[in-house]
Amino acid sequence: MRRCRPSPAWALGLAAVGLLAMLGKAGAETLLRTRLNADIRSTDPGTNRDANTDGVIGHVVEGLVAFREDTSIGPMLADSWTVSNEGKTYTFRLRQGVKFHNGATMTSDDVVWSLKRWLDPATQWRCLSEFSTTGIARIEKIEAPDPQTVAITLDQPTALFLPTLARPDCGQTAIIHRDSVGADGKWIAPIGTGPFKLAEWKRGQYVDIVRFDGYVSRSEPRTGYTGAKDAKVDRVRFNVIPDSSAAKAGLLSGSLDVIMSLSTPDLEGLKSQPEVQLSITPGLALTGILFQTRDPLLKDVRIRRAIALSIDTPQIVDAVMEGTARPNNSALPIGSPFYGEVQSHGYQQNLVEAKKLLVLAGYHGQPIKMITNKRYTYVFDSAMLVQAMAQAVGINIEIEVLDWATQLDRYNRGDYQSMAFTYSARLDPSLSFEMLTGPKASQPRKVWDNAEAQEMLRQSMMIDDRAKRQALFDEMHRRFIADVPMIVLFNNSELTALRKSIKGYAGWLYPQPRFWGVAVE
Amino acid sequence: MRTRANTAIGGALMAILLGAAVTGAFWTPFDPLRINLRARLQAPSPLHWLGTDEFGRDVLSRIMVGAGASVVIAFVTVLLAVTAGMVIGCAAGYIRGWADRIIMAVNDALLAFPGILLALAVMIVVGANKTGLILALGLAYIPSVVRVVRGTVLSIREKEYVEASRVIGNSEVYSMIRHVMPNAIAPVAVLATSMFGWVLLAESALSFLGLGVPPPAPTWGNMLAASRPFMETAAWLSIAPGLCIALTLLGINLLGDSLRDRLDPRMAHG
Amino acid sequence: MLGYLARRLAMTIPTLLLVAIAVFALVRLIPGDPVQVMLGDAADPAQAAELRAQLGLDQPIPVQFVHWIAKLATGDFGHSITNNLAVLPLILDRFQVSAVIVLVAVGLAACIAVPAGLAAAWKQNSLLDLSVVGGATLLLSIPSFWLGLLLLLLFGLKLKWLPVIGYVPFAENFWQAATFIVLPIVTLTMVEIGVLTRMARAASIEVLRLEYVTHARAKGVPEWRVLARHVLPNAFAPTWTLIGLVLGHLLGGIAVIETVFTLPGLGRLLVDSIFARDYPVVQGCLLFTAVIYVVVNLIVDLCYPLFDPRVAVA
Repeated sequence: MRRCRPSPAWALGLAAVGLLAMLGKAGAETLLRTRLNADIRSTDPGTNRDANTDGVIGHVVEGLVAFREDTSIGPMLADSWTVSNEGKTYTFRLRQGVKFHNGATMTSDDVVWSLKRWLDPATQWRCLSEFSTTGIARIEKIEAPDPQTVAITLDQPTALFLPTLARPDCGQTAIIHRDSVGADGKWIAPIGTGPFKLAEWKRGQYVDIVRFDGYVSRSEPRTGYTGAKDAKVDRVRFNVIPDSSAAKAGLLSGSLDVIMSLSTPDLEGLKSQPEVQLSITPGLALTGILFQTRDPLLKDVRIRRAIALSIDTPQIVDAVMEGTARPNNSALPIGSPFYGEVQSHGYQQNLVEAKKLLVLAGYHGQPIKMITNKRYTYVFDSAMLVQAMAQAVGINIEIEVLDWATQLDRYNRGDYQSMAFTYSARLDPSLSFEMLTGPKASQPRKVWDNAEAQEMLRQSMMIDDRAKRQALFDEMHRRFIADVPMIVLFNNSELTALRKSIKGYAGWLYPQPRFWGVAVE
Repeated sequence: MRTRANTAIGGALMAILLGAAVTGAFWTPFDPLRINLRARLQAPSPLHWLGTDEFGRDVLSRIMVGAGASVVIAFVTVLLAVTAGMVIGCAAGYIRGWADRIIMAVNDALLAFPGILLALAVMIVVGANKTGLILALGLAYIPSVVRVVRGTVLSIREKEYVEASRVIGNSEVYSMIRHVMPNAIAPVAVLATSMFGWVLLAESALSFLGLGVPPPAPTWGNMLAASRPFMETAAWLSIAPGLCIALTLLGINLLGDSLRDRLDPRMAHG
Repeated sequence: MLGYLARRLAMTIPTLLLVAIAVFALVRLIPGDPVQVMLGDAADPAQAAELRAQLGLDQPIPVQFVHWIAKLATGDFGHSITNNLAVLPLILDRFQVSAVIVLVAVGLAACIAVPAGLAAAWKQNSLLDLSVVGGATLLLSIPSFWLGLLLLLLFGLKLKWLPVIGYVPFAENFWQAATFIVLPIVTLTMVEIGVLTRMARAASIEVLRLEYVTHARAKGVPEWRVLARHVLPNAFAPTWTLIGLVLGHLLGGIAVIETVFTLPGLGRLLVDSIFARDYPVVQGCLLFTAVIYVVVNLIVDLCYPLFDPRVAVA
């Protein structure tokens, strides 16, 4: 048997490999790996998009203004602004020395070019309809008197101009460089001002963004989509992993660093894992039970109120969201700066009163169909619990499970008796009410058709006075509770799981990630 | 001997299943629909023999009621598919010619449709309930039966005793029923027992898509589908229905085998 | 033979046309449309109408159908509504993934199932027979996604032998790609063995008692020769039919396995696009699956005479 003794050549070889490995490590880029549950739709901000797209694009582009952590509006690419001309003209003073990803410096020319592009119907900007006759106001002119100033004039005052500019689902009205578009007008790639720039989009597999070294950060601390944005990792990879069990498994095995939008059953399993930390933040989305007030049976407010009084909302929320959300019967999310004492009053469970109302209404057990879906577990679970609790006072709810697209169709047409539904986040209280109220004749999807409420809503959108708006929202809430067009149950929370090695991440009210200020240890 | 073993084991399993289903129709330890949020996701215990689910409902009770539901659905679906499939398949294989070509063209077109879409479509038209489910799945599996039956018929129709039957003057239909059909039973019996399993599983898959039997009524399929998010934390939720499906299938297949051995004794002794 | 082939191919055209029409109509009958799904609950009716017009969805259905068929004739399957990718390259890409898994799994399963079924039939009622049938029955009783999840939990998380998420195409890195598809193939193989073994056994039994087998044995032909030359080919016929059926079904219905193992395959593409109401992709996928299915079954039918010369081809 021959003995194999390592020769000097071997040792040298090993040492060389070791050295190379160490050097390799030193030069290796820091990579943060996260997950999308579906591929992004495009890289053109606020046009062909969905929530996943917004999340990625939010790292690459910026607008004149942006939402702060508490959903108030803060400066982003504009340093400051003044409102004149009876609230119709906004004059923005731009930040100096802001660089685009291609090295060019941002001037008012770029702002005007970007704004004109969004307002061009060919671009299909999501917020275009806000600036049409059916929207908040029309933009009459955009002027750039000097390289650091842009003035936008509207045809009427509105409280929603800046919130609309800042909307993440409209790409935050991104200011991009004209080279983002080809000579033929076709979209190429976003050349924005964000702390990251788009690196690679491997369709169906992942999207990569890399740190933009020329980023000029704001000085105030990170808040919402504005404030300081310090990219501490070299690259962020958004892996496309539709299956949430697989994503969870990836986090646990170490092939993913961050996964968002967990469902509550996942929490249990993850809480006990030593290498995982959880981030639970209240959100702005809304889940509740919608009623069709035009339905022959449910048009009687006593029956709707009986259902509302038969359920124990805190218990439902606790069970469905496992302590990660608080009960809320108001249309305004708990995190909104306009949520106050008035909004905290909703429905208290009262079985005796519920039974009385049913007798008065002459309800004798007719089935009430409630639509729900399996796509959002918390919506499904809420429906199940509402049905069980309503049963206790003799209300006979029949659950009908549809797929999400079918349910959306029924929602849009108002073709249902009742349904368990979830609304996506709205960043302004007027918008929260606007998604619920409107004339059913022309907008069948709206649940609450109350002329006075609609008038108050209209006013709240025009007057930019905080106290006056609060008063309007308070009154609207009281009527909302009295009319029972729907029962709001809770605002969803954002549940994110990260590996312990990820430092500096913070969730916020809006359900999108922010990977600046985040480091991998 | 094997036949007896098959009958014994298969029979025992099916007896337990039927016993559970019948009992479940009259009595269960707990109300299978009663939600008890204070007792959610409890592991099996002396109180809840199979634990509780995410709504605090007793799993054993739901399994018992689900037995009846799932088995009825699967059984009726297979019956529908086999009956219709045999008739059509025999007709196609025996008659041949233009009728055969047309039947097979439509059959192939139907088969080319992934079962899920067909089931989805039928259920949307008929409604997401037990009847819709049976119709949808039955329709999805008829073409498979037709194909297998026709294949067998093609081989058998040329056999001597069929020829003989024709020669002595029996009508085509008589020959078909008397000689060809019984021989098609064996492969169809095998297919039917496989199909029973496919239907049970398809019901589960459709429940994933939200088109199974609507909640809160339990079927093993929708219980298995609902257990998925809890696979790591509450494994008993998926083990109970999964095991029941597996054991039921085992029982049906074994019984099916012994049935076939009896129908065609030549198959039983090599 | 060539004439038969030409005739059969010609016959598939009406089938495919039937499928095309059925698919097109069916997918639009399902409530909900892609525009609603894309815009979600914040849909503005004006926006929705405009998007529909852009996608050509506001035109009457027969007109849309004609447009689609016309483009199909030039080989253009259209573009996905959700992400604007060209449909045919997308389908082919995904098909590669599914095809590898299905072909390898069914092939492996057949290689194990047919000899096992034959052996069980040959030694009918012996311990071998009992264990083969018992094993096969057990295997086909287990829900495939349950099996897949259990395997994933065991090999992926607990033992960490195999990766849990993702997929790498073979072209990029053979060995890494192999690790991603081992588990799905194993899962599928196990399930298919159950189905195919029983059919092979039943068919073998059927043949073994036939007269010409007894005849051959009486003549003194060695047993292995009897099995190989007479029984195997004839037993294979119904099994072959089943393989054709299984392949056809699997190619479309492999979505569950692909979901559990997060593979970018054709099954998942189909299910995802149905939920998103992405009409061009759904239509393209179904038509493609139909073509594959028809081709597979054509091959199956053509091979029949190889097994039983008495089955006339025409």
